[in-house]
Amino acid sequence: MTAPLETTALGKRHRSRWALRDCTLTAGEAEIVGVAGPNGAGKSTLLGLAVGLLAPTEGAVRVAGRDPRRDAGALQEVGYVAQDAPLYRPFSVGEMLEFGRATNRRWDGELALELLGGLAPRTPVVDLTPGERSQLALALALAKRPSLLLLDEPFARLDPLAGRHFLQVLMDGAAETGSTVLLATRVVADIERVCDRIVLLGEGRVRLDGPVEQLLATHRLLTGARRPLGRIRGVDEIVRERSSGRQLTLLVRTNGLPIDASWSVDEIGLEDLLLAYMAPEQLQAPPPPEPSRLRWHG
Amino acid sequence: MEFHLDQRSGLPVYLQIVQQVKEALRLGLLDVGDQLPTVREVVAELAINPNTVAKAYRELEHEGLVAATPGRGTFVTETLVDPSVEHHESLRRALLGWLVEARRMGLDEESILALISSTVREELDRRVA
Amino acid sequence: MAWVTWRQHRPQLLGLAGLLVALALAALGTDLPIRAAYHRHALASCLPPATRSGCELIVSHFRSEFAPLRSAVRYLIVLPVLAGLFVGAPLLAREYEHGTFRLAWTQGVSRRRWLLAKTLLLGLLVVAAGLAFAGLAAWWRAPFDSVDGRIVPAAFDLEGVVVAGYAFFALCVGILAGVVFRRTIPAMTAAAAAFLAVRLGVEKGLRPHYLAPLHRTAGGLAPQSPTREWVLGDHLVDALGRQIGAAREDLAVAHAQHAGIDPQEYLVSLGWRRLITYQPDGRFWTFQAIELGIFVVLGLLAVAVAVALVRRSPA
Repeated sequence: MTAPLETTALGKRHRSRWALRDCTLTAGEAEIVGVAGPNGAGKSTLLGLAVGLLAPTEGAVRVAGRDPRRDAGALQEVGYVAQDAPLYRPFSVGEMLEFGRATNRRWDGELALELLGGLAPRTPVVDLTPGERSQLALALALAKRPSLLLLDEPFARLDPLAGRHFLQVLMDGAAETGSTVLLATRVVADIERVCDRIVLLGEGRVRLDGPVEQLLATHRLLTGARRPLGRIRGVDEIVRERSSGRQLTLLVRTNGLPIDASWSVDEIGLEDLLLAYMAPEQLQAPPPPEPSRLRWHG
Repeated sequence: MEFHLDQRSGLPVYLQIVQQVKEALRLGLLDVGDQLPTVREVVAELAINPNTVAKAYRELEHEGLVAATPGRGTFVTETLVDPSVEHHESLRRALLGWLVEARRMGLDEESILALISSTVREELDRRVA
Repeated sequence: MAWVTWRQHRPQLLGLAGLLVALALAALGTDLPIRAAYHRHALASCLPPATRSGCELIVSHFRSEFAPLRSAVRYLIVLPVLAGLFVGAPLLAREYEHGTFRLAWTQGVSRRRWLLAKTLLLGLLVVAAGLAFAGLAAWWRAPFDSVDGRIVPAAFDLEGVVVAGYAFFALCVGILAGVVFRRTIPAMTAAAAAFLAVRLGVEKGLRPHYLAPLHRTAGGLAPQSPTREWVLGDHLVDALGRQIGAAREDLAVAHAQHAGIDPQEYLVSLGWRRLITYQPDGRFWTFQAIELGIFVVLGLLAVAVAVALVRRSPA
């Protein structure tokens, strides 16, 4: 079985700047992947490459084993909702659905209506609230019954209530179609409850990639007295260190062994975890690669 | 039945679902042959990942409490109703009496809860020993 | 795609249909007096090969009677072109302007098919409108054409299949400008400029030479009243057939006046005559076919470039 999305050493350069580089990812079937990162991290670029709107500068991207740039069959396998959920303004809701039916070989009109809930087909697109617009764009993308659904910042335009409703419709549609979902967002809190996996992008590179549960299980906050840092039992890698006064706070990746008892150990939430990986001071000064500290076999 | 989520509990969402089903089984709110809500229903209600619901149902299936029938849904196959449930009412009444007594003696809620939990622990320790 | 194309371009296409209806009504309304005058003056009897006396006067009177109306109608030549531009330029430019290309190009239809299907459908409609326009113009102008012929630009540009060719080419250039400029107004402006340059270039530079022009010498030296042909050149030549420049002509005329002779007679006595270079009216359909071919090929080229750009777009 080919993966719904597979990228290998994927890179995209806009003029002199690399918007995305060395991106190697595989999204499994029915997996819900959060693509997090600040503005300009490369999220939209990754999605644009996956739906064939952009052409890779290097590397390759495959959707259900096909090249989205060359193979129109790949387009049938991707549902895409661009950042501001573009729709044809002179159309009505029903006409947008007709547009979807006319431009896709596989089209589940019943599912589209179901996902639209009570939205009247005669309503003009211009009269829709931002939430309804997003819902319509989502219904259009899901009615293709795509293997891969790509959503670019779907929450940016929505108030919390509309965002919550959008998420409900999205999850309903994902459950019905079994699509793999890539959700790009700056605000991790929006997607925390739904993601199986997080891919964190920063400055065009993959900073972190893993199942949410595993990420949460393998990261801990250590607090203790300030001291020179050597190896710490139970710690694989120090992600970030911060000191205030005589206190030292470390975010570490653990290796499953009991952690040195001289530290007080706390769990960390997903948002804080991703923020730590995004923090620029960490990106500029990675810890020197000392094998003894990175891997501790005790 | 309807599920609800406690975001601050720190408990993974799928475990919350497992617990809520078990609780319903224990209280007799769900009985053998009852159907659990479909994955789509739960997902549309709670706005959570369908994989999470599927995982919770697999867990329940693994524990032998429910069985999935492809195309029809997931059904309860086992209850957890405590045989002692018939005694609950009289015990509850006795506890209520005790609480009224404790209030009269000036204990506030915190002291009452502390007393209960320390007594439960003490009794447990004695039994283990 | 037919429904999508129709729905997206509905306002322009309805406008186009409305325009054609309005033109037809206007043609019907203005046509009656022209035909009445044509019959009143019995112009039919003046047409070659008939040689009725006083025809020159009758014809020139008929011409001047409707000159303002006829020159106004000449300007209608912009309508099929504007139709092409108004339908073509927004086709891609508006998708870019509103960001909807992200929607259109992520459905199950490849960009190439999407653009070709739309171009084909709109091309057919615009061509049909162009033919309707040309038919209307040919019918309205029939009395004038019977006098002046149809090979002259005033008739050639408005009647026959070239009108459809212009409309199709305008549509295609509009589409191409849309992908280049990505904004409707600049695309329309640029497409209009490009169309004008090509159209004038073809008329001035190519059309006179589709077939080698014919020559004939005129008996008298006085300019002839226009005939049913497209006169490309009208020069004085000497007995050896060499063209006579203005300076030499002035000199000869001055000489005749000085000598007290009638300049006309003097020039004839020198063996000078007028050589007329022209395209005959009988070549109308050949020329129409050639010019239509040129504009259709240019239009297809523009579409091919647009398809290539769209497939590479947006980066």
